[in-house]
Amino acid sequence: MKRLWKSGEPFIWLTGGALALALLLVAGLVALILANGLGLFWPRDVVRMTLADGKVMTGQQVEREAVPGKPGQYRIKLRVANRDLYGADFQWVDEARIATREYPPDAVVVERTEWGLLIGTIQEVRDGGRTVAVGSARGLDELRRQLPEAARLREEIRRIEKGDIGAINFAQDRVRLALKRLEIKGVTRGPDVDALQSQMGALQARYREQEARLAGLRKRQTASVVVTADDGKEKDLPLVQVLNVYAPNTMGVFAKSGHYAAGVWEFVSDDPREANTEGGVFPAIFGTVMMVMIMSIMVTPLGVLAAFYLREYARQGTFVSAVRIAVNNLAGVPSIVFGVFGVGFFIYFVGGTIDRWFFAEALPTPTFGTGGILWASLTLALLTVPVVIVATEEGLAAIPSEMREASLALGATKLETTLRVVLPAVMPSILTGLILAMARAAGEVAPLMITGVVKLAPALPIDGFWPFVHLDRKFMHLGFHIYDVGFQSPNVDAARPMVFTTTLLLLLIVVLLNLFAIGLRNRLRRKYAMAAV
Amino acid sequence: MAIGAEALKAGGPGPPAGPLAISRARTSRRILLDRLSSRLVVVGGVIIIVSILAILVVIAGEVYPLFKKPTALFLGRHGVPGAIPVPGDAAGVEEYRELAYQVTADGMLRFVALKEDRTLAPVPVPGVDGAAVTAAAHNGKSSHVIGTSDGRVIPLELVFDVTFKDGRRTITPRAEFGQPFLLDGERRRPVRRLAFAAPPSGPLTVAQVGPTELVVRTIVERKALIGPGTKIESLQSLAVPVEGEITALRLDGRGEDLFVGTSRGQVVRYDMRDTANPTRADVTDVTGNHGAVTALGLLIGDRTLVVGDQAGGVSTWQVISPPRGGERRLTRVYRFEDHAGPVIAISPSRRDKGFTTADASGQIHLHYGTSGRTLLAMRAPDGAPLRAVVFAPKTDGLLALDERGVLSHWQVENPHPEVSLRTLFGKVWYEGYARPEYVWQSTGGTDDYEAKFSLTPLIYGTLKGTFYALLLAVPLALLAALYVSEFMHPTIKGYVKPVIEIMAALPSVVLGFLAGLWLAPMVERVVPGLFLIPLVVPACILAALLLWRGLPVSIRGRMRVGTEALLLVPVVGIGVWIALALGGLVEAQLLGGNYRGWLLSALGLTYDQRNSLVVGIAMGFTVIPIIFTIAEDSLANVPQHLRAGSLALGATRWQTALRIVLPTASPGIFSAIMIGFGRAVGETMIVLMATGNTPVMDWSIFNGFRALSANIAVELPEAPEGGTLFRVLFLAAFLLFCLTFLVNTVAEVVRLKLRRKYRYL
Repeated sequence: MKRLWKSGEPFIWLTGGALALALLLVAGLVALILANGLGLFWPRDVVRMTLADGKVMTGQQVEREAVPGKPGQYRIKLRVANRDLYGADFQWVDEARIATREYPPDAVVVERTEWGLLIGTIQEVRDGGRTVAVGSARGLDELRRQLPEAARLREEIRRIEKGDIGAINFAQDRVRLALKRLEIKGVTRGPDVDALQSQMGALQARYREQEARLAGLRKRQTASVVVTADDGKEKDLPLVQVLNVYAPNTMGVFAKSGHYAAGVWEFVSDDPREANTEGGVFPAIFGTVMMVMIMSIMVTPLGVLAAFYLREYARQGTFVSAVRIAVNNLAGVPSIVFGVFGVGFFIYFVGGTIDRWFFAEALPTPTFGTGGILWASLTLALLTVPVVIVATEEGLAAIPSEMREASLALGATKLETTLRVVLPAVMPSILTGLILAMARAAGEVAPLMITGVVKLAPALPIDGFWPFVHLDRKFMHLGFHIYDVGFQSPNVDAARPMVFTTTLLLLLIVVLLNLFAIGLRNRLRRKYAMAAV
Repeated sequence: MAIGAEALKAGGPGPPAGPLAISRARTSRRILLDRLSSRLVVVGGVIIIVSILAILVVIAGEVYPLFKKPTALFLGRHGVPGAIPVPGDAAGVEEYRELAYQVTADGMLRFVALKEDRTLAPVPVPGVDGAAVTAAAHNGKSSHVIGTSDGRVIPLELVFDVTFKDGRRTITPRAEFGQPFLLDGERRRPVRRLAFAAPPSGPLTVAQVGPTELVVRTIVERKALIGPGTKIESLQSLAVPVEGEITALRLDGRGEDLFVGTSRGQVVRYDMRDTANPTRADVTDVTGNHGAVTALGLLIGDRTLVVGDQAGGVSTWQVISPPRGGERRLTRVYRFEDHAGPVIAISPSRRDKGFTTADASGQIHLHYGTSGRTLLAMRAPDGAPLRAVVFAPKTDGLLALDERGVLSHWQVENPHPEVSLRTLFGKVWYEGYARPEYVWQSTGGTDDYEAKFSLTPLIYGTLKGTFYALLLAVPLALLAALYVSEFMHPTIKGYVKPVIEIMAALPSVVLGFLAGLWLAPMVERVVPGLFLIPLVVPACILAALLLWRGLPVSIRGRMRVGTEALLLVPVVGIGVWIALALGGLVEAQLLGGNYRGWLLSALGLTYDQRNSLVVGIAMGFTVIPIIFTIAEDSLANVPQHLRAGSLALGATRWQTALRIVLPTASPGIFSAIMIGFGRAVGETMIVLMATGNTPVMDWSIFNGFRALSANIAVELPEAPEGGTLFRVLFLAAFLLFCLTFLVNTVAEVVRLKLRRKYRYL
C-alpha cells in the first residue's frame, strides 16, 4: 500500500479523474440538449387518467419524477393543454392518486394559431351554423377534407396582410418622408406636393380596397369544429385557426415519424407564434445567418490586411510585438465591451451623423441612429477581427521562408510573391480564422442585445421593397431567441421544449463550424509539419 | 514565366534556357505596382490596427464628461428700476430662462426679459392696498403666497404659456391672484416669514407674525362623489417655545413636516400630519456654535433639509431612525464648504439633488446633496449683499438677486453633478438610509428619485462570480491538463483535445439558459450531495485503483498505459451518483431533512435558487477549456530531455511531472489562470441568466449577485444617450476593458518569456 502511494499512481488516477469529470460534463450537457431538444416534434400519446376522486384528466405525459420529501412516490407532469379552458398548460399528478389510465383512440391534438394546443375529442364539425359531421371518426375525416382549404384561406389572408398591405404601408411611408423632405426645404405648395398628395390618396384608396378584400375573405371562413375536453368543457374552434389535427393514439411509428419530419420542417421554415413560444424560428435563423455573412464580408479583408501588414510588411521589432500582444489580448476583452463601443461609436456617432445628413426628414425617429443589423454585424466584426488576424498570422509564420525566397529569387516582386505564393498557401489559415470567427459570432449574444437584436422583428432585413436589403432594420437572432423565450416569456413552462430545440439548432451550427475549423487546421499543421523541416 | 509545378514534380528538364524577353515598361509597371501595394498595405494595416485599438479611446471619450468640472458663465446683470426685493422666495425664472420675475416690496410683480435685457410692464398685486409686501413663498411649482405688512396673505398662481409660431418661441406670463385672507385676525401684525405647501389634500400656509409666534392656515378639501366638494378652512396660532426668535421657516411639499429655525441655532420640527393639532417632534442643534439659522431649504423629494447659518455653514439633514433604534430624528448627513458671510438663501434644483446657496457677502455656491460636494463657487460681480438665489428649472442657469433688486444671470454647465469618485466607489449616505452604504439603483419610479450609482456592488458581484467559477475550474482544468500532457496516450489525446476545444466554443447563452432553467432547480434539490462530490469522487477513484490492481495481470496488461481516464469515466459517474445519494441521506439524518432550514438556522444563510453555485458551475464550462488549453500547451512544451533525464535518474512518472515539469511550466500555468480569470470577469450571458441580478454584497455561495457585464446588458438599452446612467455604464465597460486587457497582457508577457526560456533549455 505504501509502495503504491509512493509510486504516485493514485495521483495520476486522480488527475485522470479530473479529466474524466470534465469530459463527463461535456457529454452530459450535449446529451441533455439532445434529449430535450429532439423530443419537441414527436407526437406523444394522449393519456386519460381517472383519479381516485373520480376526476378525469386528459393530456400528454411530459415528465415523471420522485415526489420531493416522499421517497418511493412518483408524480407525473401532464400537459393538459387547453390554456383557454383550464388556465394552465401543465398539471402535476401524483401517481398514487391515479385509479385508471387509458389511451382513448378518439383523443385528438389540435394545433391552432392561438392559445397553444387543444386536446380533447371531436364532437362535431359545423359549417355556417349547420352540422356537417358528428362523432369523432367522421369529424376527423371531415376536418382532414376541409383543412387544406382553410390553410389556403389563411395563407391568402396572410399574403394580403403582409404582402399587399405591407407594400402599401411601405409606399405611404415613402410619400410621407418625401413630403417632409420638401417641407424641410420650405416647399409646402406646388406641383411636387400635389403629385405626392395625389399619390397618397391613391394609396389610401388601394388600402381600402385591400381591406374590403380581407373582410370578404374573413366572411368566407364559416366552418368550425367543436371539441370537448375534460369536465365536459366545449370549445367551438373556427377552422381557419386550426393548423393541424391528429390522433396520436392511433398513429403508428411511421405516421409519427412523418409528423416529426413535418414538425422539424415547420420549425426551421415558419414564423414564430404566440410570443415566440410556438411555430418556427425562421426569422431568427435568417437574422443570424445574414448577420454572420455581413460580418464575414467586413472581417475578412480587414483581418487579412492587418495580418499581412504585421507579418510581411512591418519591420519586426518591439513595436510590432507590442501591437501583436495588444491585438491578441483584444480577443480576451469581454464581448459586452465591444457592444458598448458599438453603441457609443457606431449607433450614436456614425449612425447619428448619417441620420442628420441623409435622413433628416425622418427625425426625430432615427433611421441608422438606432440598433440595426449593420451595426450589430460591424460590432461583431470588430469582436472577431483578432481571431482572423491571429489565425492568418499563424499561417503566415508557418509558411517556410524558402518559398518566399524562391519566388523573389526568380524575379517576382514582393506583391507578386504575396499574391501568387503566400496568399494561396495561407488561404486555409484565413479560412480557419474566418470559420472560427463565424462560430464565435453565431453564438455571441451580449453585444447584440444592445446593438440591434429584438425579440420579434416585424420584417426581415431583406424583402421585396426597394432597396431590398435594409441594413438599418432590427433583426432576430437564435441566441437572443433562447434568452428571450427562456427568460422573458410569460409561459416559461410551455416554451421550454421550444427553447431546447432552438438551443440544439444553435449548438449544431456552432459545433459544426468549429469542427470544420479544427479539421482544417489539423490538416494544415500536418502539411506544414512536413514542409517546414 | 513561372515554371509549371508539373514540370518540377516530373523532375525532367525544363524548357531550354534562353534570354528572357521582358519589356522595360512592364518591369517598371510591376515595380510601381509593388511599391504602391506596399504603401497600401502599410497604411491600411496601420489604420486597421489603430482603429481596433481606438476602442479604448472612444469609450473613455464617453466617460470623460462625467468628471469634467462644472462651469458657470456670467451672462449679465439686469437692473429693475424702483425694485426693492422682498425676503424669502420672491423671485424665479421659467424653464427656458427667458423671463425672470420678482415680487417687490411696493406690491408689484415685475418681469425681466433676460435675453433682450428689458423690463416688462409691472403687474400690481391686487389687494395690497397701500401696504408693503414683506414676505413671499412658493411650493416649487406655480403656486405662490405673498405676505403683507398688515397681516394678510395673497395667493398667486403664476404660469408661463409657451407657444411656438414659425419656429419661434414666445413665452407669456399669466398671473392669477386669489382672494387675500387675514392671518393675524384683528391685530394685523406684519407677516415676517412665510412657508407654503400645496399637497393634494389642500394648501397649507404657515406665517410668522411675532418673534416666536406662528399662524397656521389649512384648507381641507374633500371631494364629494356627487356635487361640489367641501372646503374646511381653519386658522390656528402656534407659539413656538424657543429661546431667541424664529429666523427661518420651511414646510415640506407633502405638508407633513414644518421646520422652524431659530436665532440660537436650533431647528424645531413640527409634525403637521394632523393639521388640527401640530405637535412638536424634535428640537435639534444644527449650527454647533449657537449661531442663528438663517436659511432653510428642502431638496427635491422633500427628504433632505438644507440648513444655512449665520457663520456661513451649510449642511444637509435627514429625519431618520438612529442606527441603535429609537425615535426618528433629524440627523446631519453632510457638511459643505463654508460661506464667508451669513447664508441668506437656498434654492434647490427641480431635477436632481443639487442646490445653490448665497450669502450676504455676494458669494454663491453650487452643491450636490447626494455626493456631499460643493461643485462650484462664484461671486456676484459687484459683491453687493444678496437677497435671493434662483436655480433655473433645468439646472442650466442661476439667478442671484441683490439688495438693490439687480438680477445677475449665469449659465451653468453641470450635466453630471451626481457623479464623483466617491459616489461611484465609496459609501454614500442616500436619502432614507440610516448610514452611508454602497448601493446601485439607477432608476426609480418618481421624478424626485435619487439615483444611486455605486459601482462597488457590481465590481464585488463580478469578482464574486469569478471567484466561484475559478474555484471549480482551476483545479479541474489544471489536473486534467497535467494528465493529458504527461500521462495520456497520444492517440487518445488527439480525440480529447478537440472535445475540450468544442467545450470552449459552446455559446454562453446556451450555458446560461441551461444554468438558469435546468441546473438551478436541479442544484436546489441536491445541494448537500454537491458538497460531498469532492470527497466521494476521489474516494471512488482510489477504490477503483485498488480494485484494478487486484485484477490478474492478464486483464490489466490489455490496457495500454495512458488510457486510465477512459476507464475512469464510468467510475466518476458512479461517484457523482453515490455522492448525490449520500447527500440525500446526510440531509435527512444530519440536517433535519431540510438543508435550507439548516442553513438558515445554523449558518444564517438564505438560499436563492439562482445563486453563485449555479453560476460557478456554468461559468466553469467556459473557463475550464481556456485554462486547460493554455496550461496543457505550456506543460507539453516543456523540453522532452528534462523528462527523459528525470526518468533516467529513477524518478517515477508522478515525481517527474510534479518536480520537473510542473515547476518549469509554472509561469504558463499562471498565465492560464490569468486568462481564465479575464474570461470569467467579462462573461455576460451566464451571469445575466443564472443569477438573480440583485446588487447585494455578501460572499455567500447561496446568494446571487449582479455583475458589471450583466448590468451593462440590462441597463444600456434603456439609458438615454449622453445621460449620467449612459456614461456610468460606459465607465463600467471601461473598467472591464482595462481589467481584462491588463490581466491578459501580463499573462501574455509571462507566456512569451516562458517560451524564450524553453528555447534555451
